[in-house]
Amino acid sequence: MELSRRNFLKSGVAAATAMAVGIPISRVASAAAAETEQDWRWDKGVCRFCGVGCGIMIATQDGKIVATKGDPDAPVNRGLNCVKGYFNGKILYGKDRLTQPLMRMTDGRFDKKGKFTPVTWDQAFDEMAIQFKKAYEEKGPTGIGVIGSGQWLIQEGYAMTKLMKAGFRSNNIDPNARNCMASAVAAFMQVFGIDEPPGNYDDIEYTDTVVAWGANMAEAHPVLWQRVIDRRLGHSDMKIVNITTLRNMTSEGSDLEIIIKPNTDMALLNYLAREIIQRDAVNQAFVDAHCVFCAGPTDIGYGMRATDKFAFEAEKDIQAREVEVTLTRDEAIGIGLDPEQVHTIKQANAATADRHWLVGFEDFKAGVAPYTLDFVAELAKGDSEESLDAFKAKLVRLADLYADPKRKLVSFWTMGFNQHVRGTWVNEQIYSVHLLLGKIAEPGNSPFSLTGQPSACGTAREVGTFSHRLPADMVVNIAKHRDITEQTWKLPPKTLNPKPGSHITKIMRDLEDGSMSWVWVQVNNPFQHVANANHWLKAARENDNFIVVSDAYPSISAKVADLILPVAMIFEKWGGYGNAERRTQLWREQVPPPGEARSDLWQILEFSKRITLAEVWKEQPIPGLKDEGFEEGKLPDVMAAAQEMGYTPEMTLYEALFETPENKAFAWPDPVAKGHDNHTVKHLGVDWFVEKALFEEYAAFGRGHHHDLAPFDVYYQDDVRGLRWPVIDGKETPWRFNAKYDPYVKNGEIEFYGGAMKELVTGNLNGPTTEEKTKFPGKAKIFFRPYAAPVESPDGNYDLWLCTGRLLEHWHTGTMTRRVPELHRAMPAAVLDMNEKDAEARGLKRQDTVWIESRRGKIKAVIETTGRNRPPRGYSFMAFFDESVFVNKLCIDATCPISKEEDFKKTAIKIYKV
Amino acid sequence: MNLSGILVVVPPAQVEDATLALNALPGVEVHHAEPATGRIVVVQEAETVDEEVAALSRIKALPGVMLAEMVYHVFDEILPEWDAIPAEMAAS
Ligand code: SF4
Repeated sequence: MELSRRNFLKSGVAAATAMAVGIPISRVASAAAAETEQDWRWDKGVCRFCGVGCGIMIATQDGKIVATKGDPDAPVNRGLNCVKGYFNGKILYGKDRLTQPLMRMTDGRFDKKGKFTPVTWDQAFDEMAIQFKKAYEEKGPTGIGVIGSGQWLIQEGYAMTKLMKAGFRSNNIDPNARNCMASAVAAFMQVFGIDEPPGNYDDIEYTDTVVAWGANMAEAHPVLWQRVIDRRLGHSDMKIVNITTLRNMTSEGSDLEIIIKPNTDMALLNYLAREIIQRDAVNQAFVDAHCVFCAGPTDIGYGMRATDKFAFEAEKDIQAREVEVTLTRDEAIGIGLDPEQVHTIKQANAATADRHWLVGFEDFKAGVAPYTLDFVAELAKGDSEESLDAFKAKLVRLADLYADPKRKLVSFWTMGFNQHVRGTWVNEQIYSVHLLLGKIAEPGNSPFSLTGQPSACGTAREVGTFSHRLPADMVVNIAKHRDITEQTWKLPPKTLNPKPGSHITKIMRDLEDGSMSWVWVQVNNPFQHVANANHWLKAARENDNFIVVSDAYPSISAKVADLILPVAMIFEKWGGYGNAERRTQLWREQVPPPGEARSDLWQILEFSKRITLAEVWKEQPIPGLKDEGFEEGKLPDVMAAAQEMGYTPEMTLYEALFETPENKAFAWPDPVAKGHDNHTVKHLGVDWFVEKALFEEYAAFGRGHHHDLAPFDVYYQDDVRGLRWPVIDGKETPWRFNAKYDPYVKNGEIEFYGGAMKELVTGNLNGPTTEEKTKFPGKAKIFFRPYAAPVESPDGNYDLWLCTGRLLEHWHTGTMTRRVPELHRAMPAAVLDMNEKDAEARGLKRQDTVWIESRRGKIKAVIETTGRNRPPRGYSFMAFFDESVFVNKLCIDATCPISKEEDFKKTAIKIYKV
Repeated sequence: MNLSGILVVVPPAQVEDATLALNALPGVEVHHAEPATGRIVVVQEAETVDEEVAALSRIKALPGVMLAEMVYHVFDEILPEWDAIPAEMAAS
């Protein structure tokens, strides 16, 4: 490029950058920016990567993305992006993009042991349907499954949920968000009776204190972290606390770093609750008016299988704890038992872990009484080189910050809380602390659950893509919720299956034990991201299972698949995401997908054309189904009732569920497109606007029911940068439950109006003592939850903790970010971060290649002792993006028994030189 | 070729020093500075995105830099030719 042209382009880039962040520039400079961009079409979009949900602007020319910039008008990020956000325009153009369906074949026919061969879409769907029908006829609705995603577009998640639940009558659909957000969700429902946080990101600019609990925000939520740092620059009283199991990038920006042992967050939260009571800092008026106290069983297991039939030999000792466990000394103290005696507990409530009942304030107070400074400091101190006194002083400072009635405080947390064998409990405990103080649902006072994925809230949760859920916070096992859904979907009564399906880990277990044999994976990489991977890889390849994977790149899941369907990515399709602060953002298709790649939505709709009502709405076996109004183990034949409603047995699921008269009323083309294309509509060969119709159909569930979305077109207005639901009379709701901001509050200034589980029996910490139920509408629950030890801890053999997580440059399993070769090189292979002294003690030094072994497998990796994560002694960390290292082969597949979310943070390992 | 617009923030008193230090980095040019707020706009030119990411790290490592994030990115590359089966899939 000639010099003058390049200089000119640079001036344009500089001017555009300055304008994006609001730095005033000269008229000449702004003219340069305008000229650089003159042939480009700009439109708004949302970052593909994390749950922060930054706005980006995308410029296209001749069907290709030519530039991107942080959206200056986006309230979330105000013109900034992090490094990952910056690569939104690059991920579409990786060299090994999948552009044609690929099937394992030998001699022109499907063969599980065959090689991947390009096939047409028709061949792909034909084989997929044959295999589906084989599994479905043999095993019924529970013999098939779908693993979806918190990166699913709203419409994709909705269409698949409808296809599975209304069409196939199967609840075996679960998103990868299960392993990301499920603990947060379970706690939201249990505490407030409604999902999604009361506050929003603006709390950062109103607060005096940010406490990050198990959230390395500087790496995982960088743009939000930037807002936190900015707030400190402009607010001298601001304090930042990082509560973590290892020193990380977030520590650098913090005033106080508290390094704790795994799972002792629970003890620390009880210490805070105890301090608040001891110091008389309880906001009594708030608690009396808006809260009740609750407790639940503690013998709830760890979400593992109750049998060791499928366990590796080395796993059996840990697996046995699913049946019976001996309490540790600290656990005994934490539930008020004599620590000098042996307490062996049967896990009697493993299947009913979510049971809970009302208790009194005095019970709660007695519950937290053992959590004295001495007990908790001794138990929780995570860095053996720190003195106990120094650690105690930190805990007292933390309590000072929380208990100060004048100080506004935001608690942020993410995977450290959620991926936790007591993830639901620890989420509940942080609410308990905030509720005791009344520091909630107002600007600057906010317990806030950060999400990992861009649409964990908007799709996975709101749409109800979990194995137990329906849209708008409804669940499959409540008859009234099924009725509402059946009416909205125009289904015959009793079409929907009342028995919750398999969560993601259970889908993997089902594939292993043969109860499921057909699985469709969309927008995620479960064979890499589900813990204890060696089991599931084997189940996929060696058992007679048919695995379909829709993917854009050759992920591990694509490689173990039998059929790969190439997908259109983010800006190659119309779609929408909902971020962690309840903000829904929609975008237009910007560029066409490459080759034969098509949207996930198109794939769902095309596949639905291959199944007829007669095949699914007949009587179906559901092993273990027991529900009022249903014959045991069976779903009834609903075809006769369906015929009365105008359906015919030959009708396809596409006709019955998607191409309805209501949906066809949304015509394509539509002026909202402003000339943008729609490949989904084009390849379906229809004249209705599929994405708009499905969005509106879905939105009907939430409108008037606490989850109102604005009309589709509103999100496309030039002056809208997403809207935080509920959107009522065109206005978003910044803070839920607070009458000043939330029109759903009908009684008083604060009302926790969520309706789920607001009627309970009463008892004490040991259990219910009455059978009579009490209603407490409008109130939130303050739970007492005791400290529980991790299911697996280091011992003489496996002598080191292993924690897994994310890095700034990479995202989750790296399927996309690793395709940007440069990003890949910036952080080439996952290393094991460990303490230098631990390395020395094993005769190792940084850059040594070692074997890392757990009870579940072993992998090879390089160790690092001077990286940006600095673990204390006894602790190690590895990112999970790298498929060549594959750390999830090591991790235990224990889950929180309530949320069924896996604990990726606590596996015991040993390491030795290769 | 890749061109990026990067926002750098330093304490206002250090804008001059930072400008000198930034201009000394390979491929980096300071275009706008706002002394009152300490905000500086630089343009980074690099042959590959790899070099750009490295350059961003260098900027972040300069003394006084409180923030350095990419804001604007121009892609000047040709679309790749895609194979029906990516090489690594053909092998598996
Ligand atoms: S912080 Fe998250 S949403 Fe924002 S640019 Fe980075 S990856 Fe994207």
